[in-house]
Parts: sequence; C-alpha cells; structure tokens
Amino acid sequence: MARVRVLSEDARLPGRTETENALTLAQRMPRLVLEARRVAASLSHGVHGRRRAGVGESFWQFRPFVAGEAAHRIDWRRSGRDDRLYVREREWETAQTIWFWIDRSASMGFSSDLAQASKIERGIVLGLALANCFVEAGERAGMLGLMAPRASRRITEVMAQTMVADRTALEDDLPPQAPIAPLHEAVLISDFLSPPREIATVVEGISSRGARGHLVMVVDPVEETFPFQGQAILHDLEDGVSLRIGDAVSWGRAYRERIARHRAELEEMARRRGWTVTIHRTDRPASEAALRILTLVSASRGATMGGR
Amino acid sequence: MLGLPLTFTVPLVLTALAALPAIWLLLRITPPQPKRVDFPPLKILADLRPERETPARTPWWLLLLRLALAAFLIIAAAGPIWNPMAADSSRAPLLLVLDNGFAAAHDWRERMNLASERIEAAGREGRTVALVAAAGEPVAIEPTSPAAALERLRSFQPLPHLPNRQPHLEPIRRYLEASPDAEIVWISDGVAGVDGQGFIEGLAQMAEDRRITVVKAERASALALAGVENTGGQLTTRIIRAEPNGRDAGIVRALDLKNLPLADARFSFEGNATETTAAFDVPTEIRNAIARIEVLGEGSAGAVSLVDERGKRRRVGLVFGGTSDQAQPLLSPLYYIERALSPYSEIRHGRGAVADAVSQLIDEQVSVLVLADVGGLDRETLGRVTEFVENGGLLLRFAGSRLAAGNDDLVPVRLRRGGRNLGGTLSWDTPKTFAPFTRESPFFGLAVPDEIGVRRQILAEPDGDLASRTWASLADGTPIVTADRKGDGLVVLFHVTGDTTWSNLPLSGLFVDMLRRITALAGAPNDVGAEARNAENQTVAPRLTLDGYGTFTSPPANARAVVTRDYAERATAEHPPGFYGPVDSSLAVNALVAGDRLAPLNYAPLNARMAGLVGAQTIDLRAPLFTLALVLLLIDTLASLWLGGHLANLTGRMRRAGAGAALVLAALLITGPAANVEAQEQRPPVRANTDAALVTRLAYVITGDAQVDETSRAGLAGLTQVLAQRTALQPGEPIGIDPARDEIAFYPLIYWPIVASRPIPSEAAIRRIDAFMKGGGTVIFDTRDAFTAPSSGATSPEGQHLRRMLATLDIPELEPVPADHVLTKTFYILDNFMGRYATGQTWVEALPPETEDESTRPARSGDGVSPIIITSNDLAAAWAVGPRGEALYPVVGSDPRQREMAYRGGVNIVMYALTGNYKADQVHVPALLERLGQ
Repeated sequence: MARVRVLSEDARLPGRTETENALTLAQRMPRLVLEARRVAASLSHGVHGRRRAGVGESFWQFRPFVAGEAAHRIDWRRSGRDDRLYVREREWETAQTIWFWIDRSASMGFSSDLAQASKIERGIVLGLALANCFVEAGERAGMLGLMAPRASRRITEVMAQTMVADRTALEDDLPPQAPIAPLHEAVLISDFLSPPREIATVVEGISSRGARGHLVMVVDPVEETFPFQGQAILHDLEDGVSLRIGDAVSWGRAYRERIARHRAELEEMARRRGWTVTIHRTDRPASEAALRILTLVSASRGATMGGR
Repeated sequence: MLGLPLTFTVPLVLTALAALPAIWLLLRITPPQPKRVDFPPLKILADLRPERETPARTPWWLLLLRLALAAFLIIAAAGPIWNPMAADSSRAPLLLVLDNGFAAAHDWRERMNLASERIEAAGREGRTVALVAAAGEPVAIEPTSPAAALERLRSFQPLPHLPNRQPHLEPIRRYLEASPDAEIVWISDGVAGVDGQGFIEGLAQMAEDRRITVVKAERASALALAGVENTGGQLTTRIIRAEPNGRDAGIVRALDLKNLPLADARFSFEGNATETTAAFDVPTEIRNAIARIEVLGEGSAGAVSLVDERGKRRRVGLVFGGTSDQAQPLLSPLYYIERALSPYSEIRHGRGAVADAVSQLIDEQVSVLVLADVGGLDRETLGRVTEFVENGGLLLRFAGSRLAAGNDDLVPVRLRRGGRNLGGTLSWDTPKTFAPFTRESPFFGLAVPDEIGVRRQILAEPDGDLASRTWASLADGTPIVTADRKGDGLVVLFHVTGDTTWSNLPLSGLFVDMLRRITALAGAPNDVGAEARNAENQTVAPRLTLDGYGTFTSPPANARAVVTRDYAERATAEHPPGFYGPVDSSLAVNALVAGDRLAPLNYAPLNARMAGLVGAQTIDLRAPLFTLALVLLLIDTLASLWLGGHLANLTGRMRRAGAGAALVLAALLITGPAANVEAQEQRPPVRANTDAALVTRLAYVITGDAQVDETSRAGLAGLTQVLAQRTALQPGEPIGIDPARDEIAFYPLIYWPIVASRPIPSEAAIRRIDAFMKGGGTVIFDTRDAFTAPSSGATSPEGQHLRRMLATLDIPELEPVPADHVLTKTFYILDNFMGRYATGQTWVEALPPETEDESTRPARSGDGVSPIIITSNDLAAAWAVGPRGEALYPVVGSDPRQREMAYRGGVNIVMYALTGNYKADQVHVPALLERLGQ
C-alpha cells in the first residue's frame, strides 16, 4: 500500500535544490537552435545571431554604400580609408519567445513513496530546465502573467525568484487567460486536475491570437494506479472535500476509468488547437519529459538539434 | 484434564469460551478505523460516488489475534494450574510433620517448596492444616487456615541439632483425637534422631488406619562429621552418613577462627561404608589454628565440627630453678628448650618463684611441665605436681646443679647425689657420646650424631628396673634419659642440663627430635588441678553458635550455658553447637560427638505411602496467561494503528525509533534469556596481547580480592602518572593479569599483592612465574602486613602464604636492600623503600660479596636485575590515586614526605627493572669529573 505525503505551502516554492536540479537537467539536454527561417521577423532583439545582416548589435560586415540609402548609415571611419563609401551592417539578432506557466497549487504538493519526487518539485525543475535550455539556445523565456520574456543568463534564478515573490498564484489551478503573440509558444506545467471545460477555456484564451502551446501533465503514480485497499477516507487538498469509500479496491477500478476519460478529453481539446499533451509520471526521470518538450518545440518551429 | 496435568480452579468460567464465535462475528464486521488518504484528483471526481459502501473485512490475522486474546483472558480467569497436587476430595484436615534437624538442611529449599505445595494444595481444597516441626519444642498442635500455616512454615529454619521426635507424639495424639479423620504427611530427612525408631513406633500405634504419607529422598543424603582427632602428625576427622547415598567422595575443609580456609582434605566412602575418615596432613602451627572443619558444600550444622583447645597442640609450661639473666639468655637452659619446643608446642613460662610458677602453669592447663634444674619442690607444690602427673600430665625434668644437690620423689629413678664429670680438666676421660637407641626407647629410629659429647651427668642408682626405665644411655651404658610412669602420667628426666654447660646435646638437632617425641607422648590434658577444683560449678555461656546450615550466628534466645567445661555431649536445642566461653579458652560443642553414627529410619511399621522428595512443580498459569494477553493487546494496538495509517505518523514523528525499539524490546522479552545465555557462551575470551606487546606498561596480578585488585590498579595508575611526569618513560595504562592464563613475558615488572585468603596459584602459574623471573623479569611481592604483622617476629598469614607459594620456586638468596645497592640509586638516592607503611623491610636478591676494588664504589649491583623484590609496606596503597588524582589511602608513619618517598621508591624500582645495573657505572663519574676539570 502506498504511503502519500503532502507538502506545505512553503515547500511548494522553488528553492536552491530545484534551481540546481534544473541546471543539471538543462546541461544534459542537447543544444537546440531554432531554425532562423521559420522564425518570424520580430522587433525584439535577441542574443541569437541569425548569420545574416539585420537588426542586431554585433558587427556583421561592411558593404558598399548604395545610392539612395540614408546618409547616416555610412560608416565614416571605414569610408575614410579609401575613396568609396561603406555601410556597416550588423548581424540580425532575433529570438523566439517561450512562455512558461508552472502550477503551484496545493494539489501539486503531493507525493507518494512510489514517486521519485513530489509533483511540484518535478514541475519546477522541468520548467526551469526548459527555460534554461531555451535561453542558452538564444531564445527568451517569460512567465505568463508574472515576468516579461527575457534572455538573462541567470534565467533559472530569475524565474525562481519571481515565483517565490509571487504568492498569489499559490491558489491558482490554471494560468491567466492572457493572449500571447502569434508566434510565441506556451509551456503549461500542471497536473490539470480541473474540469476539462475550464482548461479548454484557458487554453483558448492563450491561443486566441494563434500562438501554440504544450501541456505537461505531471502525475504521481498513485494518482494513476490508486493502489489502495480496504476502507479509506479520501481527502482533497484544495477544497477540503472528503470522500469516504468502503472498499478502495472496487472504487479504484471506477477511478481509473474516470481518469482515463479525463485525459482523453484533454488530449482531444489540445489536438483541436494544435497543442500537444505530455503526461509525465513522477516515478520517471525528469529528462524524459524535458527531452520530449524540446523535441516538440523544435518540431513545431522547425528547429534543429545538435550536440553541444 | 485431557490427559494433561492441568486443572482449573474455576472451571465454570470456561463456558465463556462458547462466546468466542459471537466475538468472531462481531469483530469480523467491525473493521479497523479507515485510513485517511490525501488524494488531489478528488476534485474532478465529485461525480464519482462509491459504488459499494460495504466495508472491507477485518484482516484474518487481526481477527485471529483478537480471538486469541479473548480466549487467553477467559482461560486465565478460569485459574489454570499446571501439575496440580493430586486432588483429595475428602477435605480431611492435614497434619504436616516437617523434619528440621541438621540432616534436613542440605536440601532445605526443596523441603520448603514441597511443604508449601502441600499447603497450597490443601488451601485449594479447603482443608485445614496443622504444622509440626520435628526438631523443635513440642507444642500443642492447632489446626489453622492454609494461609496462616504457610506464614508459619516460612518461619521454620533447620535447627543445628539431632532431632528428638518422640516428645511430639503426645501433641499429635491429642490432635488426632480432636480431628480423627486427619491425613498425616511427614516430610522426613530419613535419619534416626536421638529417639531412634521410637517416633515411628509411637506414630504407627496412633495412626491405626489413617492415611500416612512419608515424603523423603530415596536415600538419606546427609553427610556429617563426628569427632576430630589430633593425633600424631595429622588431624583426622570422621565423616559419617546414614546409608550409602551415592555421595561417595568429597572434600573436607579446615578453617580458622576467622573463617579463612587453611587446608582441604579429600575423603571417599568405600563401597557401602557409612563412615570414613579424612586426614589433614599440615604443619602443627597450622593445625593449631584450625577452629572449624566442614564438609564442603554440605551446608548443615552436622557437617561442621568445631575444634577447641582440647584438640590442639600441647601446651608446655617451662620452669627454671635458677635465676635467669635476661641479658644473657644463652646461659639459661630454658632458651634451648624453648627453641626446641616452640615449632611443635605452645610455650608458657612460669613466673615468679618455682612454687608459684608451677602452680600457675598447672592452672593454665599445661599438658607438659618442664622443670629445668629444679631440685626439690615444697610439699604443697609437690602434691599438685604429683596430682598433675597422675592425672595424665607429663613432667619433663632436666638435671642441673640443683637437682644434683638433692632431689624430690618426682624422678623416674633414684639418683646419686652429685654428678659425674667426664673429660674435664681433672679427668682422664673424654666426653661420652650416646649409644644407639634401643628398640624399646621412644627415640628409636633417630640417628645419633657423632659430635654429641656429654661432659657431665647425674648418675642413677643401679636398681633392677633401671634398664627398663632407660630411654637413652651413653656409650658406656649409663642412662642419660630415663622415664617412669606415674598414675596416668609420665615423668621423664634428662640426666644433663638443658643448656650447654654439661653437654652439647641442646645444640643438636637430636635434642629437637627427642623433645618432640616426648611431648607427643603427653596425653591431652584432662583438666586436672585447678580445673578439678572448680569444674563442677563453672558454667560457660555460648559465645558463637551454628545455625542449621552450619554458619556462625550469635546465640539464639533459648541457648543456655553449659554447666561444665567437660561438656562433651551432642548439641541439643538448649545447647546449640558452637563455641562456649571466652575466646582464648573456648569450649566447642558439636552437633555430633566422636563415635556417633547416623542411622537410617525404618518406615515399615507405619505402613505408609512413600513419596519422593521431588516436588510436583505446580505452576499457576494465571500470571503467564495474563501477560500473554497483555502482549497480544499491545500487538493489537500497534496493528490497529498501522492499519489506520497512524503508525506512519507516529514513526514519522519518532523517526521510527520508538516503535522499532518497542518491537525489538518485545522480541527481546520473549527470546531474551535464551539469547543472552547463548551470547555469553559463544563469546570467546579476548585478551589484548598485542596491546600489551606494543606499549611498555606496569602489570599487577589479579588476586581475586576485588578491593586489593582495585588498589593495585589505582596504585600502578598513580605510579604511571608519576613516571610520565618525571622520567622519560611514558608507560601505558597498567593492566591486571592472571599468571595462569595470560602471557606475562611482555611486562618488565609485575606487582603481586599477597592475599592470605586466596588459594595458592596453580602449579602451572608458578612455573610461568619462575620462567618469567629467570627470563629477566622482576616480581614485587607485597605482603602488605608491615602494620599488622605480629611484633613478636612470628610470620603473618600473608607471610606464610607467600612462603608456601614460593616454596617450589627457585628463589635466590635474599637480603634486605643494602645501602649501596643499585636499587637505591637508579633515579633518586634513597635509604629505604616506603609504601603505605614505612616499617617493613624490603628484600632483594643478595649481591655477590664485595670485592676489593668495589669497596670504594658508591653503588653495587649483581649481574642482572633482582628477579624478586619482597616488601611488606603495601606500596600500591601509597601510590593509589583516584580518578581526580587524589590519594586514596592515608599513609601510616610520621614522615610527612612518606608518600613522596613511596613514589620515589616506585620510580627507582621501575627504573631498576628497566635499566638494570646501568647506574652502578656511576663509579666512573668522579673520574670523568676529574678529566673535565683539567
């Protein structure tokens, strides 16, 4: 019989352990470069050079001045060396933006002795690791409703601090319905233990401008298998609802059918919007889910992945 | 019940077992409390109602546990008893006769258990119980409740005398008249008492057709001592038993007044013999210290024989007719006589004039009276001495100028006046020597040395019976020792003086042997003289008596004084065995006297049912069953907690320590004793030999006396500290060793305190010590008796112990530490070696004689280290420090620096043991200094 554990509110905030775990995990991920041609032109700057001249900060090349160009583009220092006029071109630097949202509600603070880690810990590690991977790949990571996208080298610390500072979201089961830009992507990490209709509403709100996203469903093995027997009182962590069941074994059968249906509805909803659903069990290594998300993001954006 | 030896006090309660199925049903549908499970997905399942509310069943093992718990409680309430006494439905009163003489002391515990079992059984059957203690005073027998009888039974103790059961017949008869249907149970020791078969015959007459049960061991197992005889060269004791009982061999031990063991002797019964003897072959001085002889392990008063003055060595009184000059003892004949007699006899000196001295000595009950050069006695004294001799005393006279001048009647032969000079300046003769002793002489067998020369003697008148009275004669046939029997006693005359003026006989070993044989002829003093006058009315009160187990106690309230010093009866209830009278002339009363026999009882006239002395071992099962139920209840509680999921919380809080410990504890409670025994058996003895070899350390011998051993350890620890502070030596912790078992080659120095009460080390241990000393080790023997040793120069018990111990060792010649011995120079310059006491002498191996060129050296040493240092100053006690470095024992002596000097002595000894004669080379120092000066 599995033994379960519920984490307190403070334990649901990311700490040093989670941050470090995330960095370790990110280092193990393959280097990822989103293919430039699939990246829509964006006004925002990124550190990620596109190997072509464009808007950027680092020097790309000098090219001869073409008549009709604005005179202020002439690089006078270079032009002073000979008789021709030159224009200094910079490398075009753009970045992809990935929005993260990590569920930190009470239901995430749950673990059983079958799992390697609690759900919240796994979710945070996963989110921070992905963010780190993307930023290292030159993209920008933001947090839905919390933090504007940025490409800081210390993105994991920044995100962790942001999460710690924000205690209001500890009650939220679902992300805010803020629409994001069309070519941005959203990664929602949660257990998605809400009625499918509510989830659908939120996903619709986020993707209303055409953005796409990925749902990462973190599941404790106990929630999947319900390995209890005998008499039990089930207790919900968020609403305080209790359910007394006489024979856990027979109830468990009904429960497994019910949860399978819930997932089916979720996947159907995601498929219709071009989103993906990743189910991650906490008794599996986190790298499994991280790799899958990276692959999915690359695939949807046509990115290439290579060894570091 | 069901063929098992099991009954129930309240069998009706067992019907409650019928309720078990009902309990089973109830328990089955009453499940354990549901566990609480936190489960996040619940909120999306609000529509998912449980399909079946039928609770899960209680697990079968929990059900079984609870049923067993209920069953145990019910059975325990029914009062089960294992091995009950045979139930007797007659409800007849019970008369319990319990033998409590000394013969019952050996297995008294079994007897008490048996008696209490009988009484408890009677209590269960509701019978009244009457108790009779067969060795006690006959009292009226009252039937009492079993509880009161049990209380009374616990007050019974074995009594130290042979029981007389006959007086109890009368109360028993009266009791049987009052309750005619009584059942009689007699827990007997099987040994006939003072009355012999009388009790059994009387009881058989009264019993008629009543049921009598005799409970006895198959064979009377008691051993007893009857009589101690101090004859010739050894002390013998008789061991008797009532009938052959399989205890065919054993050990008798002799102890002194302080209960210290002196000697052991083995005895064995041959075949079916009921008596045997054991002999202690020990020196006279030890034999004289024996106050008590006991059969080892018997633990009964009958197996103890007390020895008083009567059985001890001869007391010899010395009287000198002349005046003796204290400043020149060698001129007194008593000096030689005393020296010759003292190893074998107790010497008493007469004080005052001859008449007073003789009278005083006879009052002191001497058995040998020595009159050296006493001429004639006055009439009254002569009368007393004659009476003394005729009552068995031995009068030993030595000639002298006074006797030569005139003698009384108390001489064996008629004497000529004057003497005969041989080999004097005015004589042509040479000093005469002894003729070989004739076969009739008590001296026969003694070798006569050639050097003996008699220069002067008193001559006997040549009577007809002179030859028959002559024990020794000179080579020319003139008698030199004559003797005559007078009454029961003997008069012996040496025709020479006791000193060396007439002959050199007193200087020879022959003199010692002759005196020894003469004193051996003296009978035990028959308490004549002074005793004869007041023996009738002299009562001696008990001072120290034996209880039934044969241990000394203060006399009981009913003990009465014996009215005569000649009391030689068996002990009775009034006169319990023990020592009577003052310490120095105690009268011993024993449970059995010489010539006693133990007779087995013949129970045939009783026509009784016989039962063995083995108890039924009735066990009341209530307590174990209740305990078992309690344990089950605990397990049930833990199981319920676990099923309800609370155990996890509990363990989470306690980090599993508490519950785990409880479970382990429960397991230990069940299997504990057995496991412990196994563990102890399997644990191999581990000795830290490697540690001992790696660090130089001091060692002491574990004597077995806890206090002495602790003192030795603390003492060497103190010395170790001092050594570490003051010298370059950093010894390890001192270690206690057992020379018989441990390897002792690693230790340079072994400290061996002598404890007189401990047994002598085994032969193997002595051999190892010998090898150790020959191999260069040093042993300090510390007799620790400088303070307590007798000032007379006699050897203390520790000293004797040490002598016996070293008797088989090859000990070099010893001498007190000379002032120039290297031992006094090795670290500090010392005069003597103090310990807790400062007066004792320290002995080391004697140095070779000083050579010519050594005479100027400040220090001398032998070739090696003295293998042995003997001291009596209790060194360890002076060195001993406690855990905080405080001295544990005060030093005895006036010198305030004595403890410091003791430490210095210890440092010197350790340095000596480690560096040997190195410091003796100090001889070169003056020469070196001289060269440096240039």
